[in-house]
Amino acid sequence: MAISTSIWIWISALLTLAIYSFLYKDNPFYKFAEYLLVGISIGYGISVYWHNTIITKVYNPLVHDKDFLVIIPLLLGLLMFSRFFKNYSHLSRIPIAFIVGAGTGLSIPSSFEFLFKQVQGTMPTAFTIGNLIIIIGVITTLIYFFFSMEHKGFIGKVSRVGITFIMIAFGAAFGYTIMARISLFIGRIQFLLSDWLGIIK
Amino acid sequence: MKKNLVLLLLSLTLLFSFSFAQEQASGGTDLNPNAISSETERLGSMLQLSDIPNDGGGGIEINWTLNDSLSNYFITIIRREGNIKKIVASDLLASSGQVRDVNSDENKSNVKDGTEYFYTAVLSEYAVSQEILDYLVCDSLDMEAMTIADANQVYLISDESGPVKSKASWFNLERLTVLISAIIITFLFLLYLQLARKGKELYIRKISGLDAVEEAVGRSTEMGKPIMYILGIGYVTDIPTIAGLTILGRVSKKVAEYETKILVPSYDPVVMTTAQEVVKEAFTEAGRPDLYNKNDIMYITQDQFGYAAGVDGMMLREKPGAVFLQGLFFAESLILAETGHSIGAIQIAGTTETAQLPFFVAACDYTLIGEEMMAASVYLQKDPLMLSSIAAEDVMKVIIIIILLIGLILGILGPGMHIEFFDKLFNLLIEIL
Amino acid sequence: MKFVNFINNIDKRWIYLLVALVVIIPFVFPVGCPMRITPPVQSMYNYIEDSIPENGVLLVGIDYDPSTMAELHPMAKALTYHAFYNNLRVLFVTMYPQGSGMGQDIIDKTLTQWNSANPENQKELGRDITLLAYVPGVSAVMLKMGENIPATFNEDAYGNKLENLPVMDGIKTYNNLNYMVELAGSSVVLSWLMYANGRYKMKMGIGTTAVSAAEYYSYLQSGQSNGLLGGLKGAAEYEKLITENHGYAGRKDASVGMDAQSSAHIFFILLIVLGNIVFFIKKYKEGK
Repeated sequence: MAISTSIWIWISALLTLAIYSFLYKDNPFYKFAEYLLVGISIGYGISVYWHNTIITKVYNPLVHDKDFLVIIPLLLGLLMFSRFFKNYSHLSRIPIAFIVGAGTGLSIPSSFEFLFKQVQGTMPTAFTIGNLIIIIGVITTLIYFFFSMEHKGFIGKVSRVGITFIMIAFGAAFGYTIMARISLFIGRIQFLLSDWLGIIK
Repeated sequence: MKKNLVLLLLSLTLLFSFSFAQEQASGGTDLNPNAISSETERLGSMLQLSDIPNDGGGGIEINWTLNDSLSNYFITIIRREGNIKKIVASDLLASSGQVRDVNSDENKSNVKDGTEYFYTAVLSEYAVSQEILDYLVCDSLDMEAMTIADANQVYLISDESGPVKSKASWFNLERLTVLISAIIITFLFLLYLQLARKGKELYIRKISGLDAVEEAVGRSTEMGKPIMYILGIGYVTDIPTIAGLTILGRVSKKVAEYETKILVPSYDPVVMTTAQEVVKEAFTEAGRPDLYNKNDIMYITQDQFGYAAGVDGMMLREKPGAVFLQGLFFAESLILAETGHSIGAIQIAGTTETAQLPFFVAACDYTLIGEEMMAASVYLQKDPLMLSSIAAEDVMKVIIIIILLIGLILGILGPGMHIEFFDKLFNLLIEIL
Repeated sequence: MKFVNFINNIDKRWIYLLVALVVIIPFVFPVGCPMRITPPVQSMYNYIEDSIPENGVLLVGIDYDPSTMAELHPMAKALTYHAFYNNLRVLFVTMYPQGSGMGQDIIDKTLTQWNSANPENQKELGRDITLLAYVPGVSAVMLKMGENIPATFNEDAYGNKLENLPVMDGIKTYNNLNYMVELAGSSVVLSWLMYANGRYKMKMGIGTTAVSAAEYYSYLQSGQSNGLLGGLKGAAEYEKLITENHGYAGRKDASVGMDAQSSAHIFFILLIVLGNIVFFIKKYKEGK
């Protein structure tokens, strides 16, 4: 494999290097790449919203299907813009009330079910060391988060076990995070060495 | 006579060539007319019909089981209501085992409650053609027939199943547990709220990180260095940010008492304005409104890493003796906490973002973990509404622990030691959950 | 003490440089570290291999953007190939606007590579695979999919009406899909678990970034998901499985990075050990 001839690969390779140049020192190349990223993601987001929301969910139903019920949510949505006018900004609370109300209503039962699933999953179906550790971990961690009891005596000892479990979990999460960051770096190095420079297959 | 013989011969030839042509045609396609009938001679009444339980009516559930050799076949379901026939679904994978005949946005009265419906299944190896679909719903189709065929394949028809009626349920019994839990937690919350309003003091334990606040502010003053308070990149609607603002009140009161300086770089203009109010109020409460400087609570930028870079730069220039990181943090958390560590400041962090907590624990002197941060702000404010929600939550935690312990005991006795009675109880508990 | 001070005051940029070298060198001179298949990866593989009939449907959630692409893209590729080997249909769905670009990239690459390597079993866009159009609303979209998938999306990401696509034959709700693998680095996984799995009993597996892997283990244990691919390592294991069992011979994006991953981990372990030794020596000296 040889060095790439595609202009797009060159652009992405140079932008990658521009971002990494920050590791040495803040510089104009880095700034340029960063602003470019922010601008492009907003632009891309708007174009996707335009096509998939405004066109398919508002324009098409209204103009082609003559479904005038769409006007109600549309008006509610437009009320969000009242925030720009000081005297009418309170109107934006109406759509927010709808979103919060429906959102809470939808999520509370599901959250409960989700919690029960987790409780159910914690129950041991076989008596193994692993299951025992899980159940001790869950109970002691819950006790650590008791706020209406002083952490003294027995409760104090149990909650100390709880915080130990929490710290072990943090340690595992930290290790995984290092792994993830390295993976992201590997992804880029692979792109630079293989797609761009063609050094490796 | 001779003429007749010629005619006979001619017609025989014609007949022969015709049947030959037919044979050719059937051999030409990759059809195997016996593919279905060799595997199942008769489908029988394979469909099990039932009203969909726990729904708002207008829905019939159709289930079927077929042996594995037919799992790659397509199934088409026809519904009969009196003399009216309708295709419910065509070309479903037979292995999916279930389809629901329900009302949709396009047809809101597809299934009427209380009406008697009959269902028939049609099985085929390949997708059904439009002609067959049309034929299946026409009046002349004999529902007793067991097979029909077109140029491509043979279709196997099941016996008609039914009647079945759909009905609406008042309650979704599957979610009874959810309802009961919601009632319990609401009841507990209202109970504690009532108690708190009547003047009963709800106890809330001291959060260890909060004791460090005084120490941090004091040490910073001794060194003659300012204090930096970072609220993260949340908005004023985010609960961690609100908790962070409450803790800010407490910190700035200490700052005013020690007559030192507090810097609050902000990510969001609304959060900044709120923070200004909080600090001003705290300074006034401490009796030192003269020390309050509005410009110390400043806006940086609403770009995540731009904000991190701005705050980092400020840390390196001002060298604060204590850094508070309280609020909502994402990928910038380690950048901030690491810089704070490198300048040797005492750092007290707090956030609900579990993914960021490990970084804070590693780089800061004290960390308020998740709910602790909310509890800390409640501890400082002692608002009855919030106190009672903390108390109700604690009771819920106790209930969960009890359920877990019961599960543990039943689990050991039942599935663990195979005692049938406990096994049944354990399964019942799992069912309830 | 001189050494302790040196370590304490070392310019971070030297460490960055060393990390870069530690990652680049194994790429140029690969060692081929041995790799063991972990049970969560194996169970996802087995489910797709054994429990989905031919022509069954695999739904893949592409809920990520370029920032976590390095970890999740190889997973999407490996899953797609696995589905192709078993002649399953693949549907991509996304809850993120940027996910569309990711999904289309996977479809383009896998189709070209597959069709050039397997001329006898050609795969076609719209017949064997497609990406459903992005529709905003996350939880509302997931809930509506439980009632009617074609009406939720209307068309695929290429602008084709879903009713005209053979890949959509017989698909109306979650019931007609055989399995879902959700690839994401964010909490959108929870929404899928809550709605698709919780409410509509969709069988699910999760593919996630290593950052979130620890968190999602609890859903594995509770049975809400039956498989888990964690980070680049998870993707590499999956690549190994399709290579061993189906003779996959294409580019293995994740596997080639494993040497670099291992060497970087060793380097970090050394740094942590060194950092702690220096910390305790310093503390001891200061205490004196």
